[in-house]
Amino acid sequence: MADLREPVYLENKLAEVRDSGRLDYRSKSLPTWCPGCGYFSVAEGVTKALNDLHIANKDVTVVSGIGCASRFPFFTDTYGFHTLHGRTLPVATGIKVANDDLTVIVVGGDGDAFAIGGGHIPHAARRNVDITYLLFDNGIYGLTKGQTSPTSVHGFKTGTSPFENQDQPLNPLMMLLSYGSSWVGQAYAGEPHHLADMIAKAVTHRGFSYLHILSPCVTFDKTSMTYSNLNMMVRDLPENHDTSDMMAAMKEAATVDHPALGVFYEEARPTLADGFDEIIRRAQGRAAGPAAVAAE
Amino acid sequence: MNNTDFQIAICGSAGDGTIAAGDVMKRAMARAGFKVIAFDIYPPEIRGFGKCIARIRVTTEQVYSLKHHSDILVSLNDSHAIPHVPEVGRYGAVIYDQSAIAAVAEGEHISGHVQPDHLPYSLPLREISEQTTGSARSRNIVVLGYVAGLYDLPKDAFHDIIQEKFGRKAASIVESNIKAFEAGYALGADTFKLDFIQVGKPADKVNGNQVVMMTGNAAVVRGSLDAGLDAYFGYPITPATSIMEMLATELPKRGGRLLQTEDEIAALAATVGAGYAGARAATATSGPGLALMVEMLGLGVMAEVPSVIFVSQRGGPSTGMPTKTEQSDLHLAVFGGAGDCQRIVMAPTNVEGAYRCAGKAFEMAEKYQTPVIVLLDLYLSNRYETVILPKVNPFEPDSSKGRSASDPNKPYQRFAATDDHISPRAVPGEDGAIHTVTGLEHNELGRPNDQPDNHVRMSDKRHLKLQQALSHPGITIHKRFGDEGPVDVGILGWGSTFGEILEAMFLAREEGIRCSAMKAVMLSPLPVEPIKAFFDDCGAVLVPELNYEGQFANLVMSQIGRPVTRLNRVPGVPMKVSDILDEIRMLAERNRAVAAE
Repeated sequence: MADLREPVYLENKLAEVRDSGRLDYRSKSLPTWCPGCGYFSVAEGVTKALNDLHIANKDVTVVSGIGCASRFPFFTDTYGFHTLHGRTLPVATGIKVANDDLTVIVVGGDGDAFAIGGGHIPHAARRNVDITYLLFDNGIYGLTKGQTSPTSVHGFKTGTSPFENQDQPLNPLMMLLSYGSSWVGQAYAGEPHHLADMIAKAVTHRGFSYLHILSPCVTFDKTSMTYSNLNMMVRDLPENHDTSDMMAAMKEAATVDHPALGVFYEEARPTLADGFDEIIRRAQGRAAGPAAVAAE
Repeated sequence: MNNTDFQIAICGSAGDGTIAAGDVMKRAMARAGFKVIAFDIYPPEIRGFGKCIARIRVTTEQVYSLKHHSDILVSLNDSHAIPHVPEVGRYGAVIYDQSAIAAVAEGEHISGHVQPDHLPYSLPLREISEQTTGSARSRNIVVLGYVAGLYDLPKDAFHDIIQEKFGRKAASIVESNIKAFEAGYALGADTFKLDFIQVGKPADKVNGNQVVMMTGNAAVVRGSLDAGLDAYFGYPITPATSIMEMLATELPKRGGRLLQTEDEIAALAATVGAGYAGARAATATSGPGLALMVEMLGLGVMAEVPSVIFVSQRGGPSTGMPTKTEQSDLHLAVFGGAGDCQRIVMAPTNVEGAYRCAGKAFEMAEKYQTPVIVLLDLYLSNRYETVILPKVNPFEPDSSKGRSASDPNKPYQRFAATDDHISPRAVPGEDGAIHTVTGLEHNELGRPNDQPDNHVRMSDKRHLKLQQALSHPGITIHKRFGDEGPVDVGILGWGSTFGEILEAMFLAREEGIRCSAMKAVMLSPLPVEPIKAFFDDCGAVLVPELNYEGQFANLVMSQIGRPVTRLNRVPGVPMKVSDILDEIRMLAERNRAVAAE
């Protein structure tokens, strides 16, 4: 809780935000999310992280798919590509192949990622594309007004599951760990300071970083992933958690009743761009000259 | 004029060295300065004893189709070659191995199938091979030597190619193959030639320009590299895979990057991503892959991002016939996608055209900020032609409009209205031009906007800008051949079938039929005015194509509004010149009858 000994005046708080430079990363467009949506915390976290890391606006590209999260690029004063449902990661991969100097942040929801886009995640992870994947998990399709998603809990009642959802939810953290994501972490929209800190860490990581963000849908989910439920459920990772220990990370990720917040796993290994450098070195080292292609 | 025009078909079983013999033949002929077109047919199975046929047509001037009749048939396996004896023309040669005659039952030896107007050459191929090399494996080279000796083909060229082809193996292998070739040559030179095949002198070499022999897919690779391809993303699929395999070797030598993606969806997604970030990027696929890509193609159209997609068609629908040729993806290439989603589609008609279209596709994608599809087919992708490459690289390394001057105090207008409907385009990393692009309808700033006037304006912009591609410099968009002015029959064609169309048109003219042929290289946007002018000149218009529905005929009729005569074939192999010729004769006769009434 905030320290209440000193009164907090709105104009002081606004001045503090203005002076911080964070607003330089916000566009003139106001977010279109519902009041109370967890995504506001992510937007604040991204602008704070970019500001703290002193990354120039022009060097950042935000890539989104389709869903409530997908309007994100319009709200940041960076380059942005609002793509198709589920296709964020291959588009982002192409951007990095073309220009590895860019900081590429991919945003998407649980449906965008794990339903329609599920086939792309393992490959972006195993290739260690140097991008940051912010996954906004609200366990529901919000933009289409409330249907079950791949992370909806068993028994969830929605417009498309009037007799309750009979499917088991996926465990994204365990999936990403086994896919070979070189950085895996979890944060919660209800803890914005920790969230901003985790976004900064994920962006700083060289390689594929996956940040799972638990974020309530205040409009269409009144029973499951609500602030009050999540406030009671979330916990910190144990202080002695070893982020290089894959099995320890798996074990923590398996505890879904009490989601742990923090960095589950990280490793340093060559990125996709490093691989290209190696291929080009070998190809040019072997080449005797400009060989004609299939010439006579 | 072609004082040399002969076609040889070499037929054998997988493992007989059939394709290898054909390869030596076509390379030697190209080396000697002749023009060559060659197309091999082999079984889809990787292993086994399936039938292989290498067909090579050798001419003085480049032609773009094989003849329906071969002049020479070489049998390395009689059971496979017997069905092909009828394809040998009048007074053509059938060359086969005599040593096998005693071992087979009656009717199974090719000598029993040679027709009265064929010239049979029965040779001790196995014996000569064994005598000169100690094994029967060089029968294919012995017979090449024989053909070279019989028709007085330049020996040095064969020596060079044998040296190059087998040079990587042990020196003794080159030596024994040369010996096998020489033994065959001596026998051929000693044989009294009875057939009518005439071999003249090759055309003079084109000074300075590079004469090479390559496949359509190799031409796509060469064109892409000459156009400065930066990044390639692909997923293996027949018959496009060889594009990716050649680029995997060549692209990194030039500092470029190639990634094998998880599927075709990702391949085009990454291509569009790279295009958005300013790279010249491409992917290649076949019909089934294009079917997966159309969603991303729509994004490329809406967000006005450059990308190049090479599509080598095969037999369809669905998985269809992966190793057979067809032209049935035209509708998908031109129309596929959600909404009004026009893109540029070009279909080269020969290997040199594949080189041109490939390179120009990158210029166009960048200049008009759009996906560009280059539509080939298996026949064009895999066939060899001699190609004259220009001395100077014909492609612009940068045809982007650039970010243009903008007021730094105002938001960047990525989709600003301009006279030519092409907006300034900055890419990520550029200062003072920050913007977001989207698959949603958007305004000049790129912000979502679904107001009626905005959608009308932007739809106009996206369509009108592409009309300029019809006058893009340095590429043939359409071309008419044959008789000028009014004709009885006009043949309108596209893609690889245009080679057969030209052949049929020339034969029809020799018969005294007034006719001409027109090719449309650009299929979207369609060059409507030139095609209308062609219709004005033609008594009847014939549209031959390798698909069931008449997809190009549909496209032309919908945009020109005049009837055509369709000629549709779906055998999985190139169209027969004789089928087109029959149709031309019929239409010419009908037209004359109508005129006489």
